[in-house]
Amino acid sequence: MNDLLLMCMVAGRRAAIPAIRVQSVIEIEDITPIPGAPAFIRGLTALRSQALTVIDCSVALGFETAQAPPDQRAAVVEIDGHLYALLVDAAYDVGEALSDPIEVPGGFGAGWQAATRGMVETDGGPTLLIDVEALVSGPVSQAA
Amino acid sequence: MDDLLADFVAETREMLEASSGEIVAWEADPSDTARLDTIFRFVHTVKGNCGFFDFPQLEKLSHAAEDALSECRSGRREPDRALVSAVLAIIDRIGVMTDSIEAGEECSAEGDDDLIAALQPGEITSVVGEPKAATPQQAEPADGEDDAAPKAARSNGVQRSIRLPTELLDEVMKGVSDMVLARNDLARRLREAGEQPTIDGPFDRLSAILADVRNAITRMRMQRLEHLFGSLPRLVRDLSNELGKQVMVDFEGGEVELDREMVEMVRDPLTHIIRNAIDHGLEGPGERIKADKREIGLLKFAARQSGNRITLTISDDGRGINIERLAAKAVAAGIYSQAEVDAMSQRRKHYLIFEPGLSTADEVSSVSGRGVGMDVVRANIERVGGSIDVASKPGEGTSFYLKLPLTLSIIAALTVGSDGQRYAIPRSYVEEIVFGSSDHIDFAEAGDRRLITFRGKRVPCLSLAEILGTQAGDAMDWEASTLVLVRLASDDIFALAVDRVYDHEDVVVKPIAPAIMDTGLYAGTTLLDDGRPMMLLDLPSIAQKHELVNEMRSATRVPEEETAEQRKAQPIMLFTGLDGRRRAVRLELVRRIDTIAREAIDIEGSRVQAVIDGAIYPLAGLEHGELTADRCRLLRLSDGDSEIVYAVREVLDAAELEGEVIPSDADAMIEGVALIDERPVPVIDGHALFARHSGGQRKAPPLSCRLPADSDWARTILEPLVEAAGYRIAGDGDEESDVAIELAEAPAVAAGPARRVIRLRHEPDAPGDGADSIYRYDREALLNALKRARMGETA
Repeated sequence: MNDLLLMCMVAGRRAAIPAIRVQSVIEIEDITPIPGAPAFIRGLTALRSQALTVIDCSVALGFETAQAPPDQRAAVVEIDGHLYALLVDAAYDVGEALSDPIEVPGGFGAGWQAATRGMVETDGGPTLLIDVEALVSGPVSQAA
Repeated sequence: MDDLLADFVAETREMLEASSGEIVAWEADPSDTARLDTIFRFVHTVKGNCGFFDFPQLEKLSHAAEDALSECRSGRREPDRALVSAVLAIIDRIGVMTDSIEAGEECSAEGDDDLIAALQPGEITSVVGEPKAATPQQAEPADGEDDAAPKAARSNGVQRSIRLPTELLDEVMKGVSDMVLARNDLARRLREAGEQPTIDGPFDRLSAILADVRNAITRMRMQRLEHLFGSLPRLVRDLSNELGKQVMVDFEGGEVELDREMVEMVRDPLTHIIRNAIDHGLEGPGERIKADKREIGLLKFAARQSGNRITLTISDDGRGINIERLAAKAVAAGIYSQAEVDAMSQRRKHYLIFEPGLSTADEVSSVSGRGVGMDVVRANIERVGGSIDVASKPGEGTSFYLKLPLTLSIIAALTVGSDGQRYAIPRSYVEEIVFGSSDHIDFAEAGDRRLITFRGKRVPCLSLAEILGTQAGDAMDWEASTLVLVRLASDDIFALAVDRVYDHEDVVVKPIAPAIMDTGLYAGTTLLDDGRPMMLLDLPSIAQKHELVNEMRSATRVPEEETAEQRKAQPIMLFTGLDGRRRAVRLELVRRIDTIAREAIDIEGSRVQAVIDGAIYPLAGLEHGELTADRCRLLRLSDGDSEIVYAVREVLDAAELEGEVIPSDADAMIEGVALIDERPVPVIDGHALFARHSGGQRKAPPLSCRLPADSDWARTILEPLVEAAGYRIAGDGDEESDVAIELAEAPAVAAGPARRVIRLRHEPDAPGDGADSIYRYDREALLNALKRARMGETA
């Protein structure tokens, strides 16, 4: 199990996104808000003439949104032909997974539980592996 | 027709290629029925197509082959080598004929009969069969050699068509769309970087090329719905004849483009719906008259594009769906229990029409009513990712709404602003744009619903900011907003208040993430030139959310709208003339409205002209009063060839001319008087106007007139007069002129031949022999003579 992971910080916790899903990590400058859309969708941003749906990971996990730093980083992933930019608190390096994702007794907490595939060991310690599909469907579908 | 023919040739060729392998395999084993079937299908299809195109030779050949093969298939005849050879010869011949059809040349029928004869079982002897079949085959290349060269040369000029998998087209199209977006991005960066002549030139060229490519690629996949609509009147005619009904069809939105493949997918479902509508939607003429309807039934097709979807509405003004009977049948057929049906809403009951095995027709006709149809229609529509809906009102008609996806599209959009952000609205929905501050608009409130009164109609009004939740309706400054009147495919109208309207733009619509789609507010996204994303509003869904679409109401409204349209509501423009009275002119005539300075108008006696943008136009409308002091409002009218301008005091509004125009004899310049907003308004007679003011402006080549050669008087005094009378002064040389003017004092100096001669004399009083001459300063008589000459010439 030597999958590469993009290490990042989401809602103040260490998290990881499978690197194979990440097309690039970008700095988001300009977000066009979409009135009426769920709160975890921050809006749209353009990348190389393509529109990305910007997902605020913290909100999607059911947390309050963090104070947005001026140059927010986001991981670009493609799901079902749609491009998403996953806004994270901070994005670090690409690291190696040292174990398969595992569940821990008692779970990871309501928000995390639904959007993670489990905990993996990494060089930096235990990290939650984000399930991007679950994340982009937002907290609304988790409640349902 | 050429398209169809090209399709036919392409299809036949394709099948020839596909079946060539089968033919060889069949030859190896004539008893192989699977091969036999393939070849049978080929000749059968060719035969069918030939009947359509009227290629008797080809039809005869394929028919003969089909007969022989069908005998084999039914087991009445054993396929043998002779038959295989004969069939092969015919297939080769079909290939040759197809080539000549493509090249547009005649193909000789020589040898065809031998080919057909070779198929006959009587010919089966290994001795006769082989050579018989072989002879024409050998003759073929011989024929071919003769004109092989010219044919090859000719085929270069013929439009060849190829077939491509649509996935490949999709891929290319997606690539081009992305290139367009990348170009826009680059354009923005170049703009930011300032002027760079060395780069800007090539970049412009690239842009132009890209635009061409994009157009071509789009055309590759798209087909106007007209192509589909074009085949419907015939279908409707045939069906209505068969069923003894009179049906009129009306089309709207034929310019909407749909994926070629999608057009084909819709054809069958549409045919089903039409059959149903004519067979048991529309009543017979007698029943219609009894029901106080027009004898002729109406079938209306309307197409709209919105974002990634096309909405196709098929409405009839027939008897509507009998829900009770439909429900009873559903119970009888055991699909639902009585209790389940009772619990259903009206809408749900209508939906029963899509249940398999249900039909409301009492009698099964040859056309429909066998209980297959609407369920198949629904299945087909859903298979291509679309949806179907129905609305009906007893006695008033039924409408089917087909929503079809459009995977990738470029649509014409109107960009509007709300709360500092831009949004796009598909232009096909936009009926009109009016300012909230305009005099014609009144705002009113009924409960919580805001209404505007526009042209005497109360229309519900929504604020975009309120819809999007960015601003409360109470805080809205309605007067300052711009209202976009939106007409949905269901004919429901509502007004959308936006902060401002920006521009018309063609936008590439991209699908949006499901979570955003779920809001029901947006249909897609697109990128602005500056690279920022812009959302495309989903108006039908917004209207639905705010309960502005009422199926029942829209169904009842359909017949009313129809009668109005049959009378052809004519658009007109209302204005006040210089005397302050209201008048109207047909909007088709109005080219534009100009405002010019008083100095640009030149009045001398009855000649009145205005100068606009360096061109001189005759000016009308002055008979009603004086021009205003400094600036003049002018309507520029055009009859297609020439233009005249019409002075008005004020342009009021556009309106519909719904009632009759009551003719009036009193004033030749008006067509009659129409009732608009309960007030009589004279309608300007465009015909009379142009007849009076642009007459003689664009005459056929003017007649020529020869003047006395060496007379100063003729050159300085006579020439302008003659020219003003519409003559061209004939040049020197021996060219024959239409009229010649000679001076009586200087006879025999004929400068050149002329058909008519006018003689001028010096003395006011005619001398004894001068009865045929005119006094040189008798302007009246001279002009009359010139006029007579012209009449004589043109008569």
